[in-house]
Amino acid sequence: MKFLIFAEDSKNAGGIASKLRNSGNVHAIIMKDQVEASSSYGIKKIYGLTGKPFADNVAESITKLNPSSFDLLVISSTTLGREVAGIISAKEKLLCATEVFDFTLQNGKIVTKRFFYGGKTIMEEESEAKIITVTPGSFDPQNGEKTTEFEDIQLPQSKVNLIETKPKEKSSTNIEGANIIVSVGRGIGKKESIEKIMPLVEATHGELAGSRPVCLDYKWLSEERQVGLSGKKVKPKVYIALGISGQIQHIAGMRGSKIVVAVNKDKDAPIFQESDYGIVGDIFMVVPKLVEALKK
Amino acid sequence: MPFNIIVLVKQIIDIDQIRNDPKTGEALLQNIPLRIENLSKNAIEAGVQLKEKNGGKVTCIIFGTDKSNAAMKEAYAMGVDEGYIIKGYKGNNPQRTAKILSEKIKALGNNSVVILGNQSADSYTGMLPGMLSSILDIPLLGNAVSVEADGNNIKVKRVLDESDEIISSPAPCVISVTQEINQPRLPPVLQIMAAGRKPINMEDAKDEDVPVPKILSNLAPKSERKKEIYEDVDRGVEAVAKAIRGEIR
Ligand SMILES: Cc1cc2nc3c(=O)[nH]c(=O)nc-3n(C[C@H](O)[C@H](O)[C@H](O)COP(=O)(O)OP(=O)(O)OC[C@H]3O[C@@H](n4cnc5c(N)ncnc54)[C@H](O)[C@@H]3O)c2cc1C
Ligand SMILES: Nc1ncnc2c1ncn2[C@@H]1O[C@H](COP(=O)(O)O)[C@@H](O)[C@H]1O
Repeated sequence: MKFLIFAEDSKNAGGIASKLRNSGNVHAIIMKDQVEASSSYGIKKIYGLTGKPFADNVAESITKLNPSSFDLLVISSTTLGREVAGIISAKEKLLCATEVFDFTLQNGKIVTKRFFYGGKTIMEEESEAKIITVTPGSFDPQNGEKTTEFEDIQLPQSKVNLIETKPKEKSSTNIEGANIIVSVGRGIGKKESIEKIMPLVEATHGELAGSRPVCLDYKWLSEERQVGLSGKKVKPKVYIALGISGQIQHIAGMRGSKIVVAVNKDKDAPIFQESDYGIVGDIFMVVPKLVEALKK
Repeated sequence: MPFNIIVLVKQIIDIDQIRNDPKTGEALLQNIPLRIENLSKNAIEAGVQLKEKNGGKVTCIIFGTDKSNAAMKEAYAMGVDEGYIIKGYKGNNPQRTAKILSEKIKALGNNSVVILGNQSADSYTGMLPGMLSSILDIPLLGNAVSVEADGNNIKVKRVLDESDEIISSPAPCVISVTQEINQPRLPPVLQIMAAGRKPINMEDAKDEDVPVPKILSNLAPKSERKKEIYEDVDRGVEAVAKAIRGEIR
């Protein structure tokens, strides 16, 4: 079989390639600056995209490689990836299964798994999809044979004009690799209250993270600390959720944690259904006591 | 410049109210009310704001069922001028939805600013923005956190993982919006009452020949958490401290 991957970064390209390479030949289309980092995952041929990527010009470049001649086109489900998948699916009339976190190929069909109803259920579907979008982080990249064939593709002109681009500040946070995560939600009330949480972060040698409102709407924390469906998927040994209600889109990002601790003043908060240990109470009363107990 | 604005609205069952059968894990969907999908509401708000600043008309399309009237009335109350409900929605199938919506958009004229959510809250397929821009052959201004018009030109702030971009294109175009773009308005009572009297255009969807995936199962993920919940804070703190110490050692 023959597979084609489109991913913006090497980690997701590598993860998908690791999943596919035992079933056939893997080709991948990746941003040029990620090509080298992607060359150790058993991908046979890598196409490096140069120029400014937009949904339309990336889709056009992939279409030129004739996606129908591959058994499956796998696209990493980023903002750009989903747009590209939509364009190719409509243009080439290829069925697309979306937001897949696991899949198996059997006799010309594909069985895919994805969350549904906002994450309340897992839907398993069988289809003849020739495109799938895969939730980033679903598969671990594992080293394989080195890539031997490389080709650059210059992205054509987009219909969209770029006026300005502002790279996001890269900091050293890596909540995906953290052992302990202290995660704050809207329940902390204001940005200044984060200070009161820091002693717990220090006592546990943890990393600070947050729910989407905290990271995106209010910007009390930076975006790269957002846990959830549209944020980072984390798997720490301990995940401590402070003032987080436990909406399913949040749970989707921390389900892989070993132990989940929740502090919430509402005893009916859904987070308690997803916790190993829960304390019903006010964050600002519980956190100092917990810090004290951890010092003993 | 006045725009011909089309907002696309999905009606879903209220996913926040879904409970799962504790024995079988099945989602219990009976008696759960319908509502407008989260991002569709942001799309309506963005469309109405664009009209308020630049003039024009906002038309709403729901590919739904004969139960979609309430959603359309809510859209009217928020400031939508005209509404079409296309009946025949049978569940999540972006291929079919894109075909049906694009045909209606074409029938409404080919100079529209089409606004929709970037990923719907129940199924989050995220396919429609790309599909519609491809079928309608107009530029996609995707994942917008703000929209601004200058003459016939539309400018959008787009948020990506690695960067924020400001991009633009002349109308017609497709704009997909994020949850952060706005706070959808709560219409005043008078507007809600007026909306109730406004006529809604009803149509039937043609049957489209698109493949339908076979659903093998759709069950709640298993949670094997201990669920030791303490209302006595001191006892809770003790148990939690012990568990954490066990892990950081
Ligand atoms: C397509 C889509 C994608 C999304 N992606 C994400 C995502 O990636 N990540 C994410 O987090 N969300 C995501 N969301 C949003 C999600 O639906 C919720 O809105 C969000 O998770 C709620 O955040 P929260 O728990 O911090 O706030 P709230 O739901 O407001 O909860 C606050 C909690 O704090 C408690 N509380 C208040 N004060 C105190 C106190 N003093 N002490 C103790 N407890 C207190 C309250 O009881 C409440 O339970 C997404 C939504 C959509 C539609
Ligand atoms: N049945 C529908 N009728 C009208 N608009 C829809 C429908 N389904 C999806 N949309 C729009 O498309 C957006 C993205 O949906 P999706 O691509 O399915 O994730 C939604 O936020 C809606 O604005």
